[in-house]
Formats: sequence, structure tokens, C-alpha cells
Amino acid sequence: MKKFLQNKKLLSACIIVVLIFAILGGSVSMRNKRNTPMIIQSFGNDVVAVGARIIDFPLSFVSGSLNNVHDLMNTQNENNYLKSKVTDLEQTKTRNATLEAENKQLKSALKLKESLTDYEKIQASVISRSPDSWSDLLIINKGTTAGLHKNMAVMSGGGVIGRVVEVNAASAKVELITTSDKSANRFAVEAQAVNGKKVHGIITVIGNNTLAFTQAVDGKKLKRGTKIYTSGMGGNSPKGLLVGTIATTTHDTFGLSDLVKITPAGELNDPSVVTIIKRKVDD
Amino acid sequence: MRSLQKFSLAFALFVALAVNGSLSFYLHQFFSFGNASNLLLPVSMMLIALFDDTNAKEIWLALGAGVVSDIYSFGIIGIYAVCLPLLCWLLQKIARFLPEVFWARILAVLVAAILVDSFTWLVLNVTGLSNIAFTSLLQSIFPTLIWSFIFAAATYRLWWNLARDHPFMINLENYR
Repeated sequence: MKKFLQNKKLLSACIIVVLIFAILGGSVSMRNKRNTPMIIQSFGNDVVAVGARIIDFPLSFVSGSLNNVHDLMNTQNENNYLKSKVTDLEQTKTRNATLEAENKQLKSALKLKESLTDYEKIQASVISRSPDSWSDLLIINKGTTAGLHKNMAVMSGGGVIGRVVEVNAASAKVELITTSDKSANRFAVEAQAVNGKKVHGIITVIGNNTLAFTQAVDGKKLKRGTKIYTSGMGGNSPKGLLVGTIATTTHDTFGLSDLVKITPAGELNDPSVVTIIKRKVDD
Repeated sequence: MRSLQKFSLAFALFVALAVNGSLSFYLHQFFSFGNASNLLLPVSMMLIALFDDTNAKEIWLALGAGVVSDIYSFGIIGIYAVCLPLLCWLLQKIARFLPEVFWARILAVLVAAILVDSFTWLVLNVTGLSNIAFTSLLQSIFPTLIWSFIFAAATYRLWWNLARDHPFMINLENYR
């Protein structure tokens, strides 16, 4: 022991290793527990985010131009598809307006102020992505000044793509729904079974970015193509956000429980614009 | 303004960090093929260490770049904040007996890129921020090497000029 303490190089190396583990553990714990990062961290994030926005400007211009060319080439097919939907659209809009008015009247009759389905939308642009393909993090250009909070649901391309995990003043980090982060908050979801009853569960990631509907009591009663929505039960996201559709219903490797695989509805590969969902009702 | 010239490398690394994030986003479809990592910032720091091998202050630059990059890209401190100063120190030692030619330096950068990729995988698994199989790491090495080679070759001349003309925290006016 005395020899060890006298060897300054070895002692310094040990102290550095301990220090690294302490900083690593502390920062991971802080990331998971704190609602907002420390001021210095938030400031650093925002300064880099400003730089990223400047870099993003010409890149998004080039990317947007290329997308426009691609869109132009698909115009005919898109036009034909939209024409077939126009007739339905007017009818759906009228029905939606009637139902909305009726819903409002019923809520006021029951003296209900806000329910699990009420939410506000905040639009944001993605400015960066984590440099490795494993951590599934996006950085967006809105933060606490725009009303964002930790754990808000994030949507893109018509479905849920993830959750806000860190909020700074002018930027925020979004963890994708496909993350294998063990400490990530999972979405509480529901789906309508063949017998008309609701089946509740949570979204879990099972290897290679595949989503699964787990902890469901009657998983067998869910058929392929059934849509899965958030149930609003987790306390963070509102009810009724589309998560995906059921791809297959099989058993797990032990053959003991049902394994319901999901095809995500959101745009997970190229979400340039995202919508952050602010739940109106309190926890 | 001349007094700020000694911070040129720090500013250039800041720009590299912002470009790194934007490229990761816009080229995600290409990076996700084979789970490649975008190591523009680490590759830049490695090249600086190889070019300016006598400047001990580069380690502080690597530490600063690592901490800022960790906070911005991962939300935790301990990935680049550890491996960048370590690699900077190691590459500075190696640079003293490494031939001062493009291919020798590129080879050193590519070996170091494998170390960065492996260390990132290790930290993400240990902290539970990701649960990635070892085979996934092995699959990612070859595409990461290709991307690292592209970044190193594309920015080689830039970092060589910057490290030679504006070494970190050294006022060259004193020597003129």
C-alpha cells in the first residue's frame, strides 16, 4: 500500500479513473432525474445550437431543393391519390365539426374542463442528430422559452416518434421511440381488440429497433393492422396519439407470453419538422 | 483581434462540432447503413494532435472540445471528454516517430477511430443509455472507417494549415 501511494503516476491514474466514473455516473443520473439541466450545461447547449442553426441554413436549403425535385417527380401519382380522397374529405370535415361541437356541449354539461385528449401543438425543426447510430437523439430548435417540458411526446409524419429528454432555453433533445435506453420513459398505449374491448400495454423496444406492444393482457385478441394509440395513462402524453399499427402477433422465445410487433406510424428516419405535444390536463 | 488568433483552432473545432451534428442529421440514411458513426470532430482533433505534436496545450483543447461535444450530442459527460484528451496525448507521442506523410497519419487516425467507436459503444452500454450487441459494434467498424477516411482526407489540408499557422494558445508573434 505504501509503495502504491508513493508511485505518483499510478496514484494519479487511479484518481483520474475514479473521477471519470464519478463524472459519468453523476451526469447520467442528472440527465435522468433533473427536469432541466444545469445553467452552464443549458448555456453550452444553446451556444452550440446557435452554431448548428447557422450551419443548418445552407444545408436545409440544398436538402429542401432536392426534396422539391423529388416531390415534383411524384406529383402525378400524388395528385391521383388526393383526387380519390377529396370526396371523402368534405364529408369527414363536416362530421368532425359536428362531433366536435357535440363533444364541447357534452363536456360543458358535465362541467368537464379538460380531458386526457386535450393538447396543444408546438412546431419545431430538427437541427442536429447524435453522431452515432446507437443513441437515437435529435436536437430541435425550441426550448423552455417555447413552452417545452421534459417528457413531452413528439410527433412527426403522423405518428409518435419520441419524447423530450432534455430542455434548454432555446433547444431541446428528443429521444426516439426506438431507443434501447433502459431508463427511458415508455409510452402507455391502448388498442381495440377483435371483441371491441380495449387492450392496454406499453411500448418496448425488442432488439434491432423493433417496437413491441408489451404487458398486454389479451395480446392474442389484437389482429394485424390494428392501430395503436397512446392511452394518456402514463401522465406525460395525452390520449389518442397514433403510435403505429400491429405488424405481427407471435409468442416470445420462451413461448410464454404474446409478442405483438408494431410498425411505427411516425417518420423516424428523416424527421426534419416535428410537433411537440403539450398535454393540457394536469397529472 | 490578433490576440484571438491563438484560439482559431478552438473556434474551428466549434464549427466542426456544429457541422458534425448537421451532417449526422442530413446524411443519417447513409450513416445508418451499417450503423456507422460520424466521427468528424474526433478525426479533426486527432489530425490536430498529429500536426502539432509538441504543443501540450492541445490536450486542454481536446478536453474542452470533448466536454462541449458530450453535453451537446449525448447529454452526458464522459465519452468524448475522456477519449479525445487520451487520444490526443497518445497521438502526440506517436507522431514523434511516425513518418510525416499523409498515409501514415491517416492510418493512425483510422486506428484511433476504431478506439473512439469502441469506447462510445462501451460507455453507452455501461451507462444503460443504449443496449447494443457486440456484433453491432463489429458491423459498424468498417463503415465508420470509410466515413472517417473521407472526413480525414477532406479536412487534412485545413487542419494542417490551422495547426501550423495558429497553434492553440501559442502566440506566434513572439517568435517573429
